Amino acid sequence: MLRQQRHSLALASRDYFHEWRISICFVLALAAVLGPMLVLFGLKFGIVGAMVEELVEDPLKREVRPVGSGRYDRAWIDRLRKREDVDFIVPRIRSIASTLSVSSEQAGRILQFEVIPSAPGDPLLDPQRPAPSGLDKVVLSASAAKKLQVAAGDRVEGSLLRQYNGRRERVSLPLQVAAIAPATAFSRDGLFASVALVEALEDFRDGHAVPALDWEGVTVVRDRHYTGFRLYARSIYDVAALQDSFERSGIDVRTRAADIESVRRMDRTLSAIYWAIALIGLGGFSLSLGASLWANVDRKRRELSVLRLVGFHTGEIILFPVVQGLYTAFFGWALACGIYGAAAWSINFMLAPQLESTQKICRLLPEHYAAALAITAGASMLAAILAGIRAARVEPSEGLREI
Amino acid sequence: MPASTPETIYQLKDVAKTRSSNGYTFGLRVPSLRICRGEKIALIGESGCGKSTLLDLLAFILQPSDAGDFSFCAGAAGTVDIGAAWRRQKRNRLAALRKAHMGYVMQTGGLLPYLNIYDNINLSRRMLGMPADDTVENLARELGLVRHLHKLPDALSTGERQRVAIGRALAHRPAIIIADEPTASVDPFAAEKIMSLFIGMVEERNITVIVASHAWRHIKQLGLRRLAHHTRRSADGRMIETVVSG
Repeated sequence: MLRQQRHSLALASRDYFHEWRISICFVLALAAVLGPMLVLFGLKFGIVGAMVEELVEDPLKREVRPVGSGRYDRAWIDRLRKREDVDFIVPRIRSIASTLSVSSEQAGRILQFEVIPSAPGDPLLDPQRPAPSGLDKVVLSASAAKKLQVAAGDRVEGSLLRQYNGRRERVSLPLQVAAIAPATAFSRDGLFASVALVEALEDFRDGHAVPALDWEGVTVVRDRHYTGFRLYARSIYDVAALQDSFERSGIDVRTRAADIESVRRMDRTLSAIYWAIALIGLGGFSLSLGASLWANVDRKRRELSVLRLVGFHTGEIILFPVVQGLYTAFFGWALACGIYGAAAWSINFMLAPQLESTQKICRLLPEHYAAALAITAGASMLAAILAGIRAARVEPSEGLREI
Repeated sequence: MPASTPETIYQLKDVAKTRSSNGYTFGLRVPSLRICRGEKIALIGESGCGKSTLLDLLAFILQPSDAGDFSFCAGAAGTVDIGAAWRRQKRNRLAALRKAHMGYVMQTGGLLPYLNIYDNINLSRRMLGMPADDTVENLARELGLVRHLHKLPDALSTGERQRVAIGRALAHRPAIIIADEPTASVDPFAAEKIMSLFIGMVEERNITVIVASHAWRHIKQLGLRRLAHHTRRSADGRMIETVVSG
């Protein structure tokens, strides 16, 4: 029995390649529909993918910033830190107190830096490099490091000033640059410091004593309150819910929820447009494939009748258009992939100057190619089986007499 | 071979086929027909008299409208009730019978354009899984086709293509060969040559043959039994019925 099927397969293949001109027409017709569909999907996937990636990659999009200053204690901050949808949180102090004058031997001048409270796991910092720690290890923003002409491991000198009891008091603070933050993380001159160091700076400015640094002043602060926090949601999809939750408890926050929502809406819109076009395309494609296979069976009625006459079974006759349909599907798909490849390359090449090096505006994953092949093969098989059943139904005596 | 009655291959009793088109009715009625092994049957008549209809019925490629008794016996398979097989739409069973026991020569070759001459002649042998021996070469030599074996049918003349068709019908050593006007498309001189070559080869192999032709003159001298048939027209000319028996 299997011999017979192999024979059918061999005959169908011989026929297909013997009539290569017509076969090429079928393949071209298929590729002409499938190729642009792949390009369309590649664009949709590439554009939306790039936008979503940008959202996901960029920690600033996950930031939840309180508006104005509040009064938060450590326990409240700790409770927030335990929330599932919170990736990172550190308390902030009054912004007036969170600056520091820094100088380096290399630069020979004093610069005023914004001090940002940080901790291990800070989304703005490179997780591979050391985080700020203790009262002396800090991370400089890229622009700050450039102005000071320092690199990781160098030492810098911080100094701060307070008006205390009518006197101006200046203390100096030896610091070590633990790492330089990525340029994309923070564009201004900034210094990432541990929460302990930030608290020390505030205490000093408020006239309190900081025993750990031997700074004198009135009483040591016990019951500490913070005016704000730096908070990053676990993912962009948690931002809107976090914002809601803050607003419900009376804390006004600013987020990029609107941006995120607009990208997601764009994704949905583009997807809907794509699927509308894809469905119409798929319909047209199936019709054209079905029509061509159907017409082909009609054209070959006489030859199929001859096969019937020499004793081919119904199944073996149906195998004929099926095998040929699969050839068309495979070659058409391969050609469509070629068309897509050329189109995607040109699109990406033309838009390259406007994109980051790794970004591609038109791209497909291997599974997309596989899905395209599966759909094409499935559609052609269905059309071929229908056409084949029709072919097998023809009484051989009818087909034989037609010339 | 015992001297008793030769083995019956076809046995038809009250088999009929009626076809209608454009208000005309064509009917073929076979009250009784028996064809024995080794017989050479000729079916002579003008086109449209129902020759092809009878051949199609005998080749199991046309469903009879009415089959009182229609049996076929080919060697080891025993007797098969063809009428019943049609009623039960056992098309694959009929195809298998054709494949194993029948060769068919069509009016216009009916070769597969994508196979070379060798593969065309070898088609039925390959379907039956017969060994690749020198059968095809020998047939080609007898039919004068050796130098064409590796060409495609397109490259051959009509007469050569008919000879290929004869080779294909013979290659798997069927019990019966049915030939529908096998020489109608070639010139009379070539037709006579091909026909006598064909009948000679069939005779040599003791194959039952049923040939339809419109020219009795060609085959008279080849010793074929002519099936009696007469055609009747109804008064208004809208109904044509042919009755065949033998």
